[in-house]
Amino acid sequence: MTVSRLAIAAVSLAFLTASASAEPTKYPLTLDNCGEKITFEKAPASAVTVGQAATEVLYTLGLGDKVAGTSVWFTDVLPEFKAINDKIERLADNDPSFESVVAKRPGLVAAQFEWHVGPSGIVATRTQFHDVGIPTYVLPTDCVAKDNTVGSDGTRSELFSTAPIHQGVRELATIFDVQDRGEEVIADLTKREASAIERAKALNLHDVSAVFWFSSAEMDIDPYVAGRKGAPAYMMDKLGIKNIVESDEEWPVVGWETIAKANPTIIVIAKMDRRRFPADDYAKKLEFLKTDPVASQMDAVKNNRIVVMDAHAMDATIRTVSGIEVLADALDSFGLAK
Amino acid sequence: MSLAFARQTHISRLGRGILGFAALGAAILAGMCIGETPIPVGVVLQTLANKIFGATYVLDPIEMGIVWNYRLPRTIVAACCGSGLAISGMVLQSLLRNALADPYLLGISAGASTGAVMVTVAGLGAGAISMSLGAFAGAVAAFLLVAVLARAAGGGVTLHGTGQIVLAGIAGSQLFNALTSFIITKSANAEQARGIMFWLLGNLSGARWPDVWLAVPIAVLGLMACIWHARALDAFAFGSESAASLGVPVRTVQVALIGVTALVTAVMVSIVGSIGFVGLVIPHAARFLVGVRHGRLGPTTALIGAAFLIAADVLSRTIIKGQVLPIGVITALVGAPAFAVILIRGRRAR
Repeated sequence: MTVSRLAIAAVSLAFLTASASAEPTKYPLTLDNCGEKITFEKAPASAVTVGQAATEVLYTLGLGDKVAGTSVWFTDVLPEFKAINDKIERLADNDPSFESVVAKRPGLVAAQFEWHVGPSGIVATRTQFHDVGIPTYVLPTDCVAKDNTVGSDGTRSELFSTAPIHQGVRELATIFDVQDRGEEVIADLTKREASAIERAKALNLHDVSAVFWFSSAEMDIDPYVAGRKGAPAYMMDKLGIKNIVESDEEWPVVGWETIAKANPTIIVIAKMDRRRFPADDYAKKLEFLKTDPVASQMDAVKNNRIVVMDAHAMDATIRTVSGIEVLADALDSFGLAK
Repeated sequence: MSLAFARQTHISRLGRGILGFAALGAAILAGMCIGETPIPVGVVLQTLANKIFGATYVLDPIEMGIVWNYRLPRTIVAACCGSGLAISGMVLQSLLRNALADPYLLGISAGASTGAVMVTVAGLGAGAISMSLGAFAGAVAAFLLVAVLARAAGGGVTLHGTGQIVLAGIAGSQLFNALTSFIITKSANAEQARGIMFWLLGNLSGARWPDVWLAVPIAVLGLMACIWHARALDAFAFGSESAASLGVPVRTVQVALIGVTALVTAVMVSIVGSIGFVGLVIPHAARFLVGVRHGRLGPTTALIGAAFLIAADVLSRTIIKGQVLPIGVITALVGAPAFAVILIRGRRAR
């Protein structure tokens, strides 16, 4: 254990030293981003974000003062950014209009999802922004090994990994010429992930399975659960947990019958601020699990192996790592080791 | 066709009734045995023995729960919905003398959608009202609007009047569909819209025992109303003027039957979402089998509707492994080609 801790420390130290030597960005900078070539003559003076993940990456990079407007919010901003976020205009809680984004005359539009800014983007296509001289950047988490024309939330062709999260941080850091900060952030994310995985490995678990329950359109209806290629699948894979769901979609609908019969060791439920469906409330999810005549018979419910996780950590964002940490801690606390 | 009739009349009324119930029972049993996960028939029967006759077979509580608390209520609700929607479609087709009439003609489906999105997307009732209740309220509101509009346009007794009901229904549906789109575009993000679409396309996975206690009486009410008015419905086949001349209290029957139809449809939509095609196709299939006399047509329509929806539900649960399709997709996928076959064969018979 101590040896591995030392190893992690060494690795992160190496990263830190590497970051110290990161070179300043050379402009003009050309990047290949989600199938589009984007060029920057200088660091953008300002940015509008479409998607909370993009917003939080810029805040993490210390670029809050450059953000001119935000949109597409899923949950409260991370507490450490509340002060800065309060000062920035929220163009829309959901999808902003094209004109409201353009009116800010941003030097960059940073988007989380292609369905907002992409080939058939509902805010606008990337070309529409480029035509008015505004460059766009879409986080690689939504396009690397992911086909957004298949399935309602897109379909990944291979298992998600945290690499595109790091890539997004690194590329945005390069665009804004804050590469040192970018490498620092990536080193931190890498370190936290490695340490969580290490902790789970040390438990030496076998035959542990799980299901991630996001929400349900009605309380008793079939729930939205995590497919086998998204961020939750990556967490399970890394921590040696088997996902009982067998769909490649991001959030497929799977019946309680299938879930109960698979009888997972652990149930992870999403906690979110959204309150559109009753099941958005994690307390309601817990209540369902405890009172439903079938769900209450599952081992995970009987033994109270239920993990509450931030819903935004279940998506491909810089919060994903905290999801891995929460899950690793839970594994530890459940005392599953024989 | 007439030959088939002659043969059928040999079987007594009672015999046909028993045959019908046996078919329904078999469909329900199939609905309990086939599902997302394999559960042996023996376990299903033992569960039934435990629950109904108090037997004491030792079974896996999860499997027993799946059979008794998920599959059985779901199958019964499917049967009720299927028969309720099919009967409603049949009544409207006869009453309005319009082969294209279906239960959603009266704006009920559109109204239910609006009610559902008002609760879930616009946040009406702040979580105190369920989506089902919102859907029911929306359905009733839309129907009342359509009824008032049809009446104001002079709908009712005359042949011309039945046309007004259809037109009022179309206007009402368009209005409520527009309201639904407005609310979704204004305040939902794509994720929520998807959840609602899934529900609107019809979903039986949430059916539990309380839904059964609501669906069964309503389905029975629909069937009873149809049998009670069977002769009047027969008379309407010649138009409402002729029905009036045959001594049918046209106005009363119209109001009563349309009212019952609206109630049945609204309740079914609020339990399972709007499942398309059943109300349109099943009555035609039943007419093809037993002819146009409503005394026979009513029960047949109800039975076929029930069996069809159970079968569609079983398919929706099994067609993609580990995943459930909206049942409306199945009813349309199976229903449309079946309807085409009926149309073509109907033409040959003539």
